[in-house]
Amino acid sequence: MKRWVLAMLRLSVFMAAGAGWLAAPARADGDARASIVDRLCTRETEARIAAVDELLAGVARKEIAADWGAAIIGAAGDASLKCGEGGVRVIAKSGRFRDPLTLADVSESSAKLAAPFVNLRVRAAYEMAGGLLLLITAPASPLAAKAADDLQKHAGIANLDALQMAVEAQPSPDLAGRLQAIAAFRALRHPDLERRIAAIGKLADDPTERNRTALLDLQGDKTAAGDPKVAAALAASIASIDRWLQFSRLMATVYSGLSYASILFMAALGLAVIFGLMGVINLAQGELIMVGAYTTYLVQEAIRAAAPGILDLYLLIAIPIAFCVTALVGVLMEITVIRHLYRRPLMTLLATWAISLLLINLVRVFFGTQNLEFVTPAFLSGGERIVGDFIVTYNRLFAIVFALGILIAALIILRRTKLGLFIRAVTENRDMAGCVGVSARRVDVLSFGIGSGLAGLAGLALSPIYTVNPNMGTNFIVDAFMIVVLGGVGSLIGTLIASVNIGMINVIIEPAYGAVAAKVIVLLLIIIFIQFRPEGLFAPKGRR
Amino acid sequence: MTAILESISREIQGKGGPARRGLAAERLAGMLVVAALAILVAGTQGLMSPYVVNLIGQVATFGMLAIALDLIWGYAGILSLGHGLYFAIGGYLIAMHLVKVAYLQTGTPPDFMLFMGWDSLPFYYAGLENFPYALALIVLISGGVAFLFGLISFRSRVSGVYFSIITQALVFVAMLLFFRNDTGFGGNNGMTGFTTLLGWPIAAPETIAALSAASVLAAAASLYVCARIVRSRLGHMLVAIREDESRLRFLGFETLWIKIAAWVISAVIAAIAGMLYVPQVGIINPRVLSPELSIEIAVWVAIGGRGTLVGAFAGAILISTLKVVLTASAPELWPFILSLLVIFVVVLLPNGLLDAPAALRGWLEWRRQRAAS
Repeated sequence: MKRWVLAMLRLSVFMAAGAGWLAAPARADGDARASIVDRLCTRETEARIAAVDELLAGVARKEIAADWGAAIIGAAGDASLKCGEGGVRVIAKSGRFRDPLTLADVSESSAKLAAPFVNLRVRAAYEMAGGLLLLITAPASPLAAKAADDLQKHAGIANLDALQMAVEAQPSPDLAGRLQAIAAFRALRHPDLERRIAAIGKLADDPTERNRTALLDLQGDKTAAGDPKVAAALAASIASIDRWLQFSRLMATVYSGLSYASILFMAALGLAVIFGLMGVINLAQGELIMVGAYTTYLVQEAIRAAAPGILDLYLLIAIPIAFCVTALVGVLMEITVIRHLYRRPLMTLLATWAISLLLINLVRVFFGTQNLEFVTPAFLSGGERIVGDFIVTYNRLFAIVFALGILIAALIILRRTKLGLFIRAVTENRDMAGCVGVSARRVDVLSFGIGSGLAGLAGLALSPIYTVNPNMGTNFIVDAFMIVVLGGVGSLIGTLIASVNIGMINVIIEPAYGAVAAKVIVLLLIIIFIQFRPEGLFAPKGRR
Repeated sequence: MTAILESISREIQGKGGPARRGLAAERLAGMLVVAALAILVAGTQGLMSPYVVNLIGQVATFGMLAIALDLIWGYAGILSLGHGLYFAIGGYLIAMHLVKVAYLQTGTPPDFMLFMGWDSLPFYYAGLENFPYALALIVLISGGVAFLFGLISFRSRVSGVYFSIITQALVFVAMLLFFRNDTGFGGNNGMTGFTTLLGWPIAAPETIAALSAASVLAAAASLYVCARIVRSRLGHMLVAIREDESRLRFLGFETLWIKIAAWVISAVIAAIAGMLYVPQVGIINPRVLSPELSIEIAVWVAIGGRGTLVGAFAGAILISTLKVVLTASAPELWPFILSLLVIFVVVLLPNGLLDAPAALRGWLEWRRQRAAS
């Protein structure tokens, strides 16, 4: 576009000054256009295919305007480019006549005009060029996918440089990927051996599964990979890609394990604190996660209604709200039910189960059972490709960073504040703490509130990743319990290490043996583990 | 609030000990035997609709489950949130027996075989058409699994809430496992299409009546057995473990084997309940392994009252009948009623509804005192 404006500017300068040399590039464009149109008007197949190639090469060098190319190829393709005796060329379509060089309207020509016959090979070239030029001039048009289909069909004759241009212009990553593959396919079968080897090396520089498939395809193609130099380059490249792919797969596994672990950590942290403090297992913890996710949803809907401009920020705005709402639910639970059951820990299991049933059904009545739809904020969509097929997706990164933030906040609260001191004191010895003036009841309420609020934050952090519905809590609760059992009572570090372990084991076993086997193996490992360390990984050094 | 609670709990403390309640259990067992005969007569003579007879039989198996749980929770203080596992072992094995019999009779392979494209039943179905063998397997497998699990968890002194959570995780994992279609247990569709039980057509009113009567009889038998156990030396040991296990150990008793014995007996009763339940409902699927069902067993016991056997049985009958009635008439309302009832009972009536009269007296006392002052 810029180049086009520049050319126009130069043209106007030329008209004003009458200095011919200034307009050289513009005239070169004009010459090229005339030569291309002339050759498109011949009956010879080779000449016309060469003209198409030259046109595309010119477009790729930005010497020929792509818009014009698209128009002329279109006209040649639908036989509206008419050629007559004595160099008369005209584009005649639905009663309108245009000059093929400038595309300006002209008067009806009296010469005898005919469109050259388009045979199969020429048609293929036109379709290929038409698709390419459309992708270059209007990459976001709804016809782009169709154009890519055309290109795919004629990938063997596509112009490589123009293809590269189309890839760069393509905004949709999906389509860009397809075009890239076509380009790679084309380059790999380039008649020039050196260019072929260069293309192989280039693919190896970017170790993705797609490139590996392209190289393997070439290896299977005896005519293209028959040369020993090519074969050697191919083997080396594939080996290198394999190495990188393995590494990237490892990274991806670690990454998804970490993100799952961070969700588990947030879910289990509140559980572990409450269990360590009061010996109460909160079976409603999963439902508190759900309450957090639903609160996030309500915040999103409220912002959508009140201030749609800042909708993208709803996840951040919801952080304090989700925490407070779930903390409030937790405090209510503590005051109305749990408080009366401290001497009967087994009964708290039933009571908290009843509360979870109540919460699930309340949510069902008010929101229905369908999955909630969350807007993915712009800053959480997509990801950064690090190496090979390993993509750091922002939504999972958010969960990890969020969990780290919670870990730090919890550490500060537990180690640097008076409340944290009290919590640790009551965890270690409830009666003794009471003797020195700590109000165990108040500490209980506060930490139950904080533990519940943490579950709410877990719900918020997982809402961009997992499905949110009234039953979501049950998916996390068993894993969260296992973390508490494994990590030991009321130990922050134990909870952290246990969640990383369980998260990792889950994602490592899952691809090989399936999700069910992962759960079975985790449970068996824990049952074996408690044979040796019944108090968990990091048992507090206190009497109980 | 606290004042009410205190006067209520004072009133509740004054109740009779477990010995008296043990006798009540034996009396109830006798009444159940009579009831079983009545059902058998009424069912075969067409005096009661097969639907009601069938329902009574199902509820009786739930009563057995509650008795099984009460033996270990009410007396030994070990709460299992995974007793559905043993119920399912009994249920799946009898379903395998019924499927095998139906396959041999009709030649039509069960749905899951067609679905998986298998041309024969897996090897573990071998010999299951033989009823005594199936019965022996039910007792051996449920008892064996319970023994193994009891051994590894009691040996490492896993107790209290920890133990409950692990039993729940176990039943949850078993559910996931049985939801798979390639295990040969019917996957998520479960097993159905039963034809005959011991040569009787399974849908005939006579069979239904016999099964229902057998369930009530089995409930009576488990009540009687458990009542004898809790009044025996073993029962006293169990109560001692509940009250203070360390002290019992210091006195020189090996609590491990006492706990395992009670645990295995409880598991076998639960498995027999499952064995009687499945032919009556005509289907089994992995949902019997869901943690919710296992927690519901504990809810029956908690609502009826722990450590009395009679209370647990009554709780199971009451809640499961209520559930059948209410899920038919007001399905959305049932979870609310159940959860509020549980919270109410758990907070206000530590020993379940058997405490209700005493709690009522305590409340009246509190009102009287307040009026006087």
